[in-house]
Amino acid sequence: MTRIRDLSTFNAVRTTGLGKLRPHHVRIAVGMGTCGTGNGAEAVYSAFADAIFQRGLDATLVSTGCFGFCAEEPLVNLYSPGQPLVILHRVRSEQVNQILDGLLEKNIPEALALCKIEQWDHITAQIDYGAGYPMVPLWNEVPFFQNQKKIVLRNCGIINPDDIEEYIAVGGYQSLYKVLIDRMPELVLEQLKASKLRGRGGAGFSTGMKLEFLFKSNAAQKYLICNADEGDPGAYMNRNEIEGDPHSLLEGMAIGGYITGATKGIIYVRAEYPLAVNRLNKAIAQAREYGLLGQDILGRGFDFDIELVEGAGAFVCGEETALIASLEGRAGRPRPRPPFPAEKGLWGCPTDINNVETWYNLAPIVARGPAWFTETGSTTSAGTKVISLVGKVRNTGLVEMPLGTPLSQYVYDAGGGAADGHSIKAVQTGGPSGGCIPHDLFDTPVDYESLAKLGSIMGSGGMVVMDDDNCMVDVARYFVEFTRSESCGKCTPCRVGLDKALRTLTRITKGEGREEDLVELEELGRMIRDTSLCGLGQSAPNPVLTALRHFRHEFEDHIRAKRCHAGVCLELALSPCENSCPLHMNIPRFLQLYKEGRLADAFESVIMDNPLPASTGRVCQHPCDNRCRRQGIDESVNMREVHRVIADAVLLSDQFEEAVGRVLAKKRKATGKKVAVVGAGPTGLTAAFYLALLGHEVMVFEAHADAGGMLRYALPEYRLPNSVLDREIEIIRRLGVKFTFNTAIGEDITLNDLGSQYNAVFLSIGTWKESQLYLPGNELAGVFVALPFLEAEAKAEPMQLGNHVVVIGGGNAAIDCARTVVRRGSAATVIYRRDRGDMPAIPEEVDAAEKEGVRFRFLATPHRIIGERGGVKAIEVTKTRLGEFDTSGRRRPVATGEVQVVSCTNVILAVGEDVDRDFYRSAGLTITESGMLQVDRYSLESSRENFYAGGDLITGASNVSNAMSYGKDAARNIDARLTGDSHFDGLIPTFQYDQTAPAEPSKSPRHHAHDLPVAIRAKSFEEATTALKPEEAFEEACRCLRCDIRDSAHFAVSHR
Amino acid sequence: MKAPSSQRSSELDQDFVNGVLVRHDGRPGALLAILQEIQQNNPRKYLPRETLSYIAERANIPLSRVYSVVTFYALFNLEPQGRHTVCVCRGTACHTRGSRDLLDNLVMNLGLKSGEEGERDQLGLTTPDGNLTVRTVACFGQCALAPVVEVDHVIFGHMNEQRMQREMKTLEKREQQS
Amino acid sequence: MSEQITMRIDGQVCTAKEGQTIIEVAQANGRYIPSLCHMPGLSADGCCRLCLVEVTGLNRLLPACTTPVRNGMSVVTDSERLNQNRLMALELLFSERNHICAVCVSNGHCELQGLAQQLGLTHIHFTYNYPKLPVDVSHPRFVLDHNRCILCARCVRVCDEVEGAHVWDIAGRGINSMLVSDLQRPWGESQSCTSCGKCVQVCPTGALVEKGHAVEEMTKRNAVVTQLAIKRGTHP
Repeated sequence: MTRIRDLSTFNAVRTTGLGKLRPHHVRIAVGMGTCGTGNGAEAVYSAFADAIFQRGLDATLVSTGCFGFCAEEPLVNLYSPGQPLVILHRVRSEQVNQILDGLLEKNIPEALALCKIEQWDHITAQIDYGAGYPMVPLWNEVPFFQNQKKIVLRNCGIINPDDIEEYIAVGGYQSLYKVLIDRMPELVLEQLKASKLRGRGGAGFSTGMKLEFLFKSNAAQKYLICNADEGDPGAYMNRNEIEGDPHSLLEGMAIGGYITGATKGIIYVRAEYPLAVNRLNKAIAQAREYGLLGQDILGRGFDFDIELVEGAGAFVCGEETALIASLEGRAGRPRPRPPFPAEKGLWGCPTDINNVETWYNLAPIVARGPAWFTETGSTTSAGTKVISLVGKVRNTGLVEMPLGTPLSQYVYDAGGGAADGHSIKAVQTGGPSGGCIPHDLFDTPVDYESLAKLGSIMGSGGMVVMDDDNCMVDVARYFVEFTRSESCGKCTPCRVGLDKALRTLTRITKGEGREEDLVELEELGRMIRDTSLCGLGQSAPNPVLTALRHFRHEFEDHIRAKRCHAGVCLELALSPCENSCPLHMNIPRFLQLYKEGRLADAFESVIMDNPLPASTGRVCQHPCDNRCRRQGIDESVNMREVHRVIADAVLLSDQFEEAVGRVLAKKRKATGKKVAVVGAGPTGLTAAFYLALLGHEVMVFEAHADAGGMLRYALPEYRLPNSVLDREIEIIRRLGVKFTFNTAIGEDITLNDLGSQYNAVFLSIGTWKESQLYLPGNELAGVFVALPFLEAEAKAEPMQLGNHVVVIGGGNAAIDCARTVVRRGSAATVIYRRDRGDMPAIPEEVDAAEKEGVRFRFLATPHRIIGERGGVKAIEVTKTRLGEFDTSGRRRPVATGEVQVVSCTNVILAVGEDVDRDFYRSAGLTITESGMLQVDRYSLESSRENFYAGGDLITGASNVSNAMSYGKDAARNIDARLTGDSHFDGLIPTFQYDQTAPAEPSKSPRHHAHDLPVAIRAKSFEEATTALKPEEAFEEACRCLRCDIRDSAHFAVSHR
Repeated sequence: MKAPSSQRSSELDQDFVNGVLVRHDGRPGALLAILQEIQQNNPRKYLPRETLSYIAERANIPLSRVYSVVTFYALFNLEPQGRHTVCVCRGTACHTRGSRDLLDNLVMNLGLKSGEEGERDQLGLTTPDGNLTVRTVACFGQCALAPVVEVDHVIFGHMNEQRMQREMKTLEKREQQS
Repeated sequence: MSEQITMRIDGQVCTAKEGQTIIEVAQANGRYIPSLCHMPGLSADGCCRLCLVEVTGLNRLLPACTTPVRNGMSVVTDSERLNQNRLMALELLFSERNHICAVCVSNGHCELQGLAQQLGLTHIHFTYNYPKLPVDVSHPRFVLDHNRCILCARCVRVCDEVEGAHVWDIAGRGINSMLVSDLQRPWGESQSCTSCGKCVQVCPTGALVEKGHAVEEMTKRNAVVTQLAIKRGTHP
């Protein structure tokens, strides 16, 4: 037993510890925090133990806590003398032998190496390991760690938490020793106040002042309590801190005891954290053994001891008076303050309660001084805060950054942004007491005041990232469900008020919400906040109030449109695919009808949901693929291709007439109302289709000579043959829709004319105006703009091309241009300023273009076009690199200054399309701040009565199914307005079909549409992708899990 | 008050309880620790009423206060627990990654009555054969591995429906073998 | 001896002793502050939240029953904001359980009902929970009707602090909180109950009543209990 009573013993222990940390042989440390063991660290540890034993290696094997990158666990630290400490990630037990083989030859398996540490600042000491392994990045070169500063987590994941000597080796208990030698508690209190350390548990009260209250009390018995009852769902930093470095907590409390005169410390820890309890128990026993707790600490005549108390599962015990009640053996119901615990706490004695992380900051402040501490953080909030970054980000784990670091650095830089195909919507801070912050406010610094300003709080530091798959109404409901069930029930507002709030929110998620609910929720929330007895109730409305403040439209969507766009609120959706489809097609139904061999019924189901089924079957962006639950088993069902097969099989066959007959039979009797549709693109055609079915007289005005809009004039023949589109338009004509071509609104006819001649007007002009890209040289002959280029192609009046055409842009139009160029026999290069994964174009189209010989240059932005004799000679591009994340969640391209010249004969600019605003303004229609036509979100009515609008005009350039959905909604609303009744739902047919879910998912893998061989398709305008064969489409239909049948959920895999 | 007799209770181990009471006497949080330890010692991991009466009498605590404490904290059970326990984490990270679906499906597949709306976070359901108890926890603090499920005190991260079913089958097999 | 201090309640200058609570000073000076859980002679619980008042210079509302007065303090006991909160708290209480005054023995003598009339509560905006709650008639003399209980915990305190029996406590938590006797055994079987009836006298509603009363017949004598408490000195 080494009881430390003097400096020489202390130093001797320190030397022993250092020898363990940096031995003369190999040291292997396996991350065995709860996150490590949850990822299989125990198997890795025993594999190392076996291998070391079998080989008779001279090596130390220890376990440590987590180094913070929890998602990459199991983490293993490798040390061999004179070499840097290397951290391996995602280690599996099978790899152990390979690691040991390499290690003996000073060879690190590169694929496993996450980073290395050459020198580590333990704050209380510096440890040098050595330089080497040039191919392995330094720890702070890894994006996850880049902006981190580890003060609280200074020892976590590096030292063995079960060995007090290793803690002493890195400067542990030195601060306590210093304080005991100096014998100036007032001075330490002054230092703490000067350090501006604030409580890390929530409210952020000055720690120095709090401890001073206790110091000033003359009571004989005083208590220090560490609140380790970390109950915030989504926050787990305290668990990691204790598991990785328990002695820092003990030292912090012992210092606190000395400077306040308290002789007794209590750590109240969650029973749900067995490993933390275990390590703390060991640490306390060791500290007593070494004379660092108990009587006559360090031989300096100071007595202080710590007891561990396990909580029993009540979130409210995080509130200090409830915690005290719990320690006194009662139910954890808070009592009103005053008196504050500092006057009357545990058993009536003065008591100071601090959060775990607060205690961790004491030793560093004593060691390095307040001036050093205030160097980090913002002016009002000094130091760092450990944040648990979890939810929908790529990198999850504990991130310790200076207070005042903007949210974007957490979410994008450390977190790595959203998973593929998703975008980040919000971040939730402060757990059930905090709130959601929308992504456009991600420049907010993370400190006490800034978060409070947004209605949230820092709390204990949980940060849960939400993406487009998360519904904010559901999130608000989730937190109220939590606080309602954790409410102690003592005071009326919290007990009954939260119950009422939950009932209202539940109603809204079920689509039974009322418009007045939102105001009532706000009033109730304010009342609960202002009148509840304790912090739980006072902060419980925050998640609801912030959601209402920042995401009110989502609540309104649930209430008014009965839609949950995230697809979370199941009662509002038929199935995830239906919910994700802008047209809300009943996808499971047409799949099932097709499966049952009922082609005519399947077609009717499809066309009544979607009037352009063959076109969309080819070019839709298919959002349904991203939501299909079959992804959890193998791949999503290829729904788009099945509906293409269904549409083609009827439209392009002798079944056409019968199908037209079935549609015409649904037409309602004439209403005598006249509706003008402006623009014969997909939006206008959709509106016309439904309006005609509803019995209105429809006239479509179109500037071009034919109908179809972008489908005809921007989509090349090889993607969508005009013959297919013509069939669809024929049905619309036969419903009685009339067309006036070559008539441009504002030129040939005015809005006032329309207003006087028609009962309602629907504006659905797309985005035909090219965005302006100022580029020197764009006046040269041979420089084209994408839409006119494609349009000329569609009209068979193609533009002259040289042998190498450069296309600028990354959207579908750019790819269409490039593939057209290839078919015209020229070479094509697409230049895009971001990276491949950031392209808005459909990935299948990009792949097809590449196979056809289109070349791509990513991360390059055009600088100028170089001319020669009036034509194009080359284009100069500046290389870009990926910088900060922007609000779209993609990295912003930053010019590097490196210029390259690409010689070419033509340049096509495909940089996006825009709305022609000028004439709307002149016609007296209101334009939004972002330059779109302003309409009511639900009725689609513009600022002018009876003038409705939809499609790209109000959203900006979008995609075909999205645009069509506005035509559908507009038809519903216009009809309701003109007839004063609702007939729309009556158009949708009903069918009897099998309603049993498949017992087992079918074995078949996903079928992909067939591309024509490259050699053929790259030379022709023939349709490049042919449909699935009927038997393939049948198998595809069989793959559907039938999420529309609710009890089929038993094997439907939950969303990611 | 009648003295609790040892004949009356097969489950009440008076010597053990007395030992626990002595060990925790006067310590902070004593009642909680006493109840936890005694529950842990019970083969079915619960606190029978006669045990509570005995504790109240010996520790000189009013019966209603003991009852108040036992019903306030989520960790205490008044009913026998299943031989196996599956605990679904309902923390925020797990919620955003679909733990509600996991829980609902699990409860449904076991043929248990799922909690009323709003009661899901305090769930403790045991199958009629006493084989399995399904519980929820506010948060395991394993958020980086979300969604997380604990089966007989072993943590499983990144849980999905298929893995859950696999684990349930393993439990079933283990039960049949024993 | 405690020091004399001066303060204002709704503008009126009042003198008080240090250590007194706002509600005590208000009462002594003829200012009425609504409350359901507070009762002179019992410890203050601060749970009903009806006695919240504004204190000049503080944004937070404070419970008058637990907040000690200070020299120079200025208290507002009646304002639009306070009234709104009080009305909503009453609405929450009324809709939480089944308060059907017309069939209640305490009709006309109920503090909850009286406060609603006094504050002008005319309409409950919230949907009623209509929980199914038991009525315990096992005691020979008394009845516990959970439908009428507002969880003010006066009975818990009087039984513990004045009678010293601690028959009652609150079990469960949140909206599921329930008044229990002993280990949630029928009241009539309680081993600790002395049948003194103090809990019945202090209950502000018809939750705890004597048997044998018809509708509107049950009146309470809580002042007697207060006097007893003061005489016994169980509460300062």
